[in-house]
Amino acid sequence: MSFEEFQNTARLYVIGALELDEMEAFEKARERFGEKAEDCIAECYALHEAFALSLRPAKSSAAIKERLMSMVRERKQG
Amino acid sequence: MDHTGTNPIKVENETIRPFAVTPPVEPGAPSDFDLMGRIQAEDPEALSQLYDRYNGILKALILRVIHNEAEADDLLQEIFMEIWNQAKNFSAQKGKPLGWMVTLARRRAIDGLRKKQAYARAEERLQSQTEQQPDAWVHNATEEEIAFSDTRILVRNVIDRLPPAQQEAIDLAFFRGMSQREIAAKTNTPLGTVKTRLELGLKKIYDGLKELKDEL
Repeated sequence: MSFEEFQNTARLYVIGALELDEMEAFEKARERFGEKAEDCIAECYALHEAFALSLRPAKSSAAIKERLMSMVRERKQG
Repeated sequence: MDHTGTNPIKVENETIRPFAVTPPVEPGAPSDFDLMGRIQAEDPEALSQLYDRYNGILKALILRVIHNEAEADDLLQEIFMEIWNQAKNFSAQKGKPLGWMVTLARRRAIDGLRKKQAYARAEERLQSQTEQQPDAWVHNATEEEIAFSDTRILVRNVIDRLPPAQQEAIDLAFFRGMSQREIAAKTNTPLGTVKTRLELGLKKIYDGLKELKDEL
C-alpha cells in the first residue's frame, strides 16, 4: 500500500467504514508508516468535527445541564 | 500551543498543523484546550462552559443518528458525563477537544441505536420526518446557533458540492454507522462503487476543509 492509498483508507477508517478484510492491510501499513501514519489518522479525525459542524445546533432542555452538573459535583465530592 | 489553540505536530523535522474548521470563541474566553485542561483537573465550571459551547452541536449529531428527542437528551447527558470521567484520556497531541467529543458522541449514539435494534423504526421515522419537514432541525436561532452559523454554512458548502450519491454514502457511513457492505445492500449498489464513492467524497471534503481553513 502506497502512502496515498493509506491516506484514502485512513479516511474510511476514521468514519468506521473499513471492512474487516481491509483492516488487516490497513493496520500493517499503519505499522510500516509509523508516526507519519499516526499523524495522518489524527488529521483525518478533523472530518468528524466538520460533519458535526455541518449540522444546525439543536436545543436541549435546561434540566439536562442541571442534572449533569449535579451528578458531576456529587462524583467530585464522593 | 499558539493563540488559536492549535497544537503543531512535529513530523520528520517538519512542523505540520492539524487542520480543522475552528468554531469562533469570544475574545477573552478560554480556549477548548484550556477548558479540557481544567476538566482534567476536575473543575466542574469548565465542564459547564464546555457544555454551553457545544451541547447544541453534539445534540444535533445524536439526533441525526437516533431521531428521538428524549433519547437524545439522555444520551447528551451521558456523553458529557463520559467527557468528565474520561477527560484524562484526552491528549492534545492527538487532536482537538471538539473532534474528541464528536468521536465519543458519535460512537455512543451509534451504539445506542444498535443496542435498541431500532434501525427499522428509526428509518421509518426518518422517512416520515423527511417527507413532512425537509429541514427537520429548523427552530428559533439560539446564541450557540448564531455563533456557529458562519462555520456551518462554510462546511455545508464543501459537503453540498459533492454528487448526491457520494453524500448519501458518507451520510450512511458516518451518521448511521453502516459498513460498505451494508451501504451497498441498502442502496442496491455494487460494493466497489460504494468504496469509490466514499473515498472520492471523503477526499473532496478533506481537501475542501484544508482550503477552508486557509480562508478562515
